[in-house]
Amino acid sequence: MTTRKMVFTDTSLCTACKACSVACKAWNDLPAEKTQLIKGYQSQGDFTPTTWTYISLHENYENNKMTWRMFKHQCFHCADPACLKACPVGAISKTAESGYTLIDQEKCIGCGYCTIACPWGVPKTDETKKKTYKCTGCIDRVENGLLPACAFTCQPGAIQFGEHDEMLAKAKARLAEVQKTNPKAQLYGDKLMGGTTYIYLLLDSPETYGLPVNPSASASLSLWKDYLQPYGGWLIPLAAAASLGSFFTTRLLKVADSKKGVDTHGQ
Amino acid sequence: MASSLSKERVVRFSGSARFAHWGHTITFIVLLISGLALFSPSLKSLAAIFGGYVNAGVVHRWMAVFFTAIPLIALAMNPKGFKEWWKDVFSFGKNDIGFLMVFPLEFFGFKVKIPPQTKFNGGEKMNSVVTTTSCVLLAISGYIMWFKGSFPVWMVQWSYPIHDICMIIATCMVFMHAYLGSFHPGSGESFWGMWKGTVRSDWAEHHHKQWYDKIKGGN
Repeated sequence: MTTRKMVFTDTSLCTACKACSVACKAWNDLPAEKTQLIKGYQSQGDFTPTTWTYISLHENYENNKMTWRMFKHQCFHCADPACLKACPVGAISKTAESGYTLIDQEKCIGCGYCTIACPWGVPKTDETKKKTYKCTGCIDRVENGLLPACAFTCQPGAIQFGEHDEMLAKAKARLAEVQKTNPKAQLYGDKLMGGTTYIYLLLDSPETYGLPVNPSASASLSLWKDYLQPYGGWLIPLAAAASLGSFFTTRLLKVADSKKGVDTHGQ
Repeated sequence: MASSLSKERVVRFSGSARFAHWGHTITFIVLLISGLALFSPSLKSLAAIFGGYVNAGVVHRWMAVFFTAIPLIALAMNPKGFKEWWKDVFSFGKNDIGFLMVFPLEFFGFKVKIPPQTKFNGGEKMNSVVTTTSCVLLAISGYIMWFKGSFPVWMVQWSYPIHDICMIIATCMVFMHAYLGSFHPGSGESFWGMWKGTVRSDWAEHHHKQWYDKIKGGN
């Protein structure tokens, strides 16, 4: 795969049937988990180490009429991922061209730094296995010319996979169409975190979907990874070197002093 | 006079102070080695000492518990000594500033005139404040990272750089402190003060005149 891909989810077409969630589990061999009603028809509240995609449902009231806001959550596969930057063991990488963000399970130590760094809290750690998991974008399918499991199974065709530029143009065209009836409709993802691989058409503002409006990496991440770790640590060998330097200069100066007959009593 | 005093010794550090000092020495070193592996991928081999990252993390957490408990135990054992230490540290005055002004020269072995010092000289006072503050912040940020599910995400996010900053400062201080307390020619008796608890009287008088006069005057 040598070109950048994109998965475009048109939430205006989503029916919240949750088949994507099931297809994801089937393809990735993830066990079913006991679910419970979170609110309304929503049965999954967050990601787990074995649930990499789920649907959230949000009721929206206008003029005494209720409409649904439905959102398929999974890793956004950011172009500039905070998780990758936070990982202390270099287990997270971007695929060269296609735009996927992947966790190398061999290298992962399950510290969960990525979960804390991710603006959406996507990766989840299995505390027994000490490994962190998230959506792989079905890289194993995509690299072999198949659609991602969720896109393949989506009955209303809300999840579409294709070339980055092509899908983005399609998303923009669809947005113009949907805005005729939903003036607040907008795209979510194409301008976030360096441009995400998974983008959405929302019918309304991100808040109405329970999403952060301006997801970004915390300033603490930059302080930590761009300044402290590459430069700050050098203060330690510097302190050690100063001590070593002093070890020699003090002794040399003492020899010089004793030749001059200076009293060094009390040391 | 020096010869008649040379065998006489004065008590400098109590048992609880020495327990806290050496307990913290051991736990700090183990915490540093087990933690540094996550600071830079180039220090990966440090994790291997403990049998990999996951085990290094387990050791780090256990040591953290002892690291937290030791000063609290020392405080419970000898609250009076603790109070005296901090009272002296915060009696930071003109002579302490005088000490810090000439200390860089003294550090490299130049002969300087140092004003009379209390039990802790200006540098030791600074070390007390900086190291203790770092240790407290290391513990707080560490427990937030450990029990990250119980804290807001922004607190956990800021705990990482704070833990690193305090580690860097504390490690630099520990390096300098260890050297100054052992191989620096000016340190003389100070190592024995923390090891045996007592120092030679003439050394005490020469290095901590105000303290020496106080304990001698008190007798």
